[in-house]
Amino acid sequence: MDNILTLESIQTYIGQFHILEGVSINVPRDSITVLLGRNGAGKTTTLKTIIGLTPPREGKVIFDGEEVQGKRAFDIANLGIGYVPEHRAVFRNLSVMENLKIAEKKRGDLERKADFIFGLFPDLKRLYRLPGNHLSGGQQQMLAVARALVADNKLLLIDEPSEGLAPILIEQMMAAIKELSKTTTILLVEQNFIMASQLGENYYIIDDGKTVENGKMEDLVKNEALIKQYLGVSLGRDGGDN
Amino acid sequence: MRTRSLKQVLPGLILLAVIAVLGILAYRFMGQESFIRTALSGLTLGALYFMVAAGLTIIFGLMDVLNFAHGAMFMTGAYMGWQFYTNPTFLFGILPLLLAFLTGLSTTSLWIPIVSKWKLSEAWAKRLGGLLVIAGLTLIVTGFLKFDLLGLAKTAMVAAMNAGNPLAEATPQEPLGIFWRRPLLLLLGGILIAIANAHPGDKTQVVTFTNKSASWLRLGGLVVLTVLSVLFRESASIAVLKLNGNLRFFMALLVGAGIGAGLGAMIEVSLIRPLYARPFYIVLITLGLGYILRETIQLLWDPVAYSMEVPPIFSQPGKAANLLAWFSGNNLTINILGVTFPSYRLFIIVLGSLMLLGLFILMRYSRLGMIIRAGVQDRNMVEALGINVKAVFSTVFAIGVGLAALGGIGAAPFIPVTPNMGDAYQMQGFITVVIGGMGSYGGAGIGALLLGMARAFGDFLALKFNMSPAIAEASTVIVMIIVLLVRPSGLFGKKE
Repeated sequence: MDNILTLESIQTYIGQFHILEGVSINVPRDSITVLLGRNGAGKTTTLKTIIGLTPPREGKVIFDGEEVQGKRAFDIANLGIGYVPEHRAVFRNLSVMENLKIAEKKRGDLERKADFIFGLFPDLKRLYRLPGNHLSGGQQQMLAVARALVADNKLLLIDEPSEGLAPILIEQMMAAIKELSKTTTILLVEQNFIMASQLGENYYIIDDGKTVENGKMEDLVKNEALIKQYLGVSLGRDGGDN
Repeated sequence: MRTRSLKQVLPGLILLAVIAVLGILAYRFMGQESFIRTALSGLTLGALYFMVAAGLTIIFGLMDVLNFAHGAMFMTGAYMGWQFYTNPTFLFGILPLLLAFLTGLSTTSLWIPIVSKWKLSEAWAKRLGGLLVIAGLTLIVTGFLKFDLLGLAKTAMVAAMNAGNPLAEATPQEPLGIFWRRPLLLLLGGILIAIANAHPGDKTQVVTFTNKSASWLRLGGLVVLTVLSVLFRESASIAVLKLNGNLRFFMALLVGAGIGAGLGAMIEVSLIRPLYARPFYIVLITLGLGYILRETIQLLWDPVAYSMEVPPIFSQPGKAANLLAWFSGNNLTINILGVTFPSYRLFIIVLGSLMLLGLFILMRYSRLGMIIRAGVQDRNMVEALGINVKAVFSTVFAIGVGLAALGGIGAAPFIPVTPNMGDAYQMQGFITVVIGGMGSYGGAGIGALLLGMARAFGDFLALKFNMSPAIAEASTVIVMIIVLLVRPSGLFGKKE
């Protein structure tokens, strides 16, 4: 299968701490792949390793046929990766417009994409001139996702988009991500298993810094034992507890 | 929250009220003339403090670097501008050598694809870099052998003494037939260091081809500039000296700022960039750098105080009746509300205000400003958006040092040009930054104004009551203590 992103036995350290001890992932083109696992398993570090913020000490990151491990983060991002970090890290002292503008990789990106972005997140159009710190948590999360859409990215890394969102906003976010997956590949980290299972086509489970299971999402949903073992959630309950 | 609560605004309101009361009291007590005179010198001092504080605060805000060499860079800017204005022989004399070295260095990215393929044993790969650097430095030192640096430096000193005809005393320079070896040696030295920079034998490094054409373009441009600077090193300085004094002065401002910015960029790339993980080392290295700059300048121009002449536009005899009259008369002094005030000091106030305005426009409306404001909050996210944060750091450091150098050359006709001229201003600059809130350039503007006023009125009081001038010097620290008691993170600082 044609993979846009491949991780081969990644070892990542943060300072003294050995966080990733063998993560191998294939992300097929034009699909949503979901990273699952408990808190502290290494999902966020995996995303940061791909984009180059926490470079791996060993292993390969192959994006679109090119080895990118060891490159600087901005170089990797400019190859066509958009990153949506956890905790809705928008720039609080920049306006919504500037938050989007700063993500331009080519001049005029924002003008070309504005209609598409406002179609997904109509609220942002109304808030266009406001500073980031005037936005509610949900609006900030929308802005963080929108920011990754300004440039023409081939792959989006999205870290916990539903974290702390009200149910109605989770619906809106899910609809947006589904819409996005029609045009881009998405690697999603999501604690909310219901959201993850409805969006994802493929899944990887990371436990203690290692990829332990992977396959089709439809198979995982049927496998209650596996879900219990690694995720500690049952399908009946909202898994967004952190 | 759009409306700030009363509690947040209260300290600011109290501060304003206190200043207003003090101002009214001072006005009643001092009488109009000395009040205005003192306020004007307060503005002048405030402008000078701001010129130093502006660079300090933007550098600290983005990079958390406390630049203890900032005063020395202010001083270096003053010397460079003074050289350019009085007799630029020295600057044009060393320019070819500097450009040749930079040309050599700029080949680094072109060497990476070649030298990374070299088959070296691990021991040799480690050793080779060091050996290349030593060889490069040897070539550079050889390039400077018997180079009459001090003679070149003396040209402006001599010119300062023969203000009437500086050209007559210009030191003859080495003929081109001998001189051409020097840039060549520096070029080779630069190339050797560039090869060492490219880590020979290190196959693990990833080669980025995206910037290849830009590298070649830069190299080509530098080669052309080097050749031009070699050919025109004598005629250029004569041409500059033939220019009208005012034009030369405004060019000197730009040249001083430009040299400062270049110096800043080189320092950031070579000394500070490797140490971002160790902030304490950066403090030490900038402190040391300050000493080196001061001593180098002292070596070249002797530990003597120079007074740079005020350009003709601010020094025609007579007193202008008002600002409008000054524009036609270019007089030495201007009548401002009954006070005779030197027009050059007014220029310093204008220069400081322009710097504040320029910074405001840069930070508010340019893409770089947007990136800086975002980077203050979250550098990693900025990098993950595809922006080269290291390059932004170098640019901001260059801008900060450039502003300090511009301040230095602006101040040079007003204060004596000595190797230590920046030290007092650095101290006041730090106090300004602390008062305004670390990282806030607007805060630095207001802090500088407060400090300038405190100093000027302190001076006035000390004189009036026959107290030691030390009281006036302490006044700025007293202001800082009061502000920090009310707002521990400074007027515009973010709460930790």
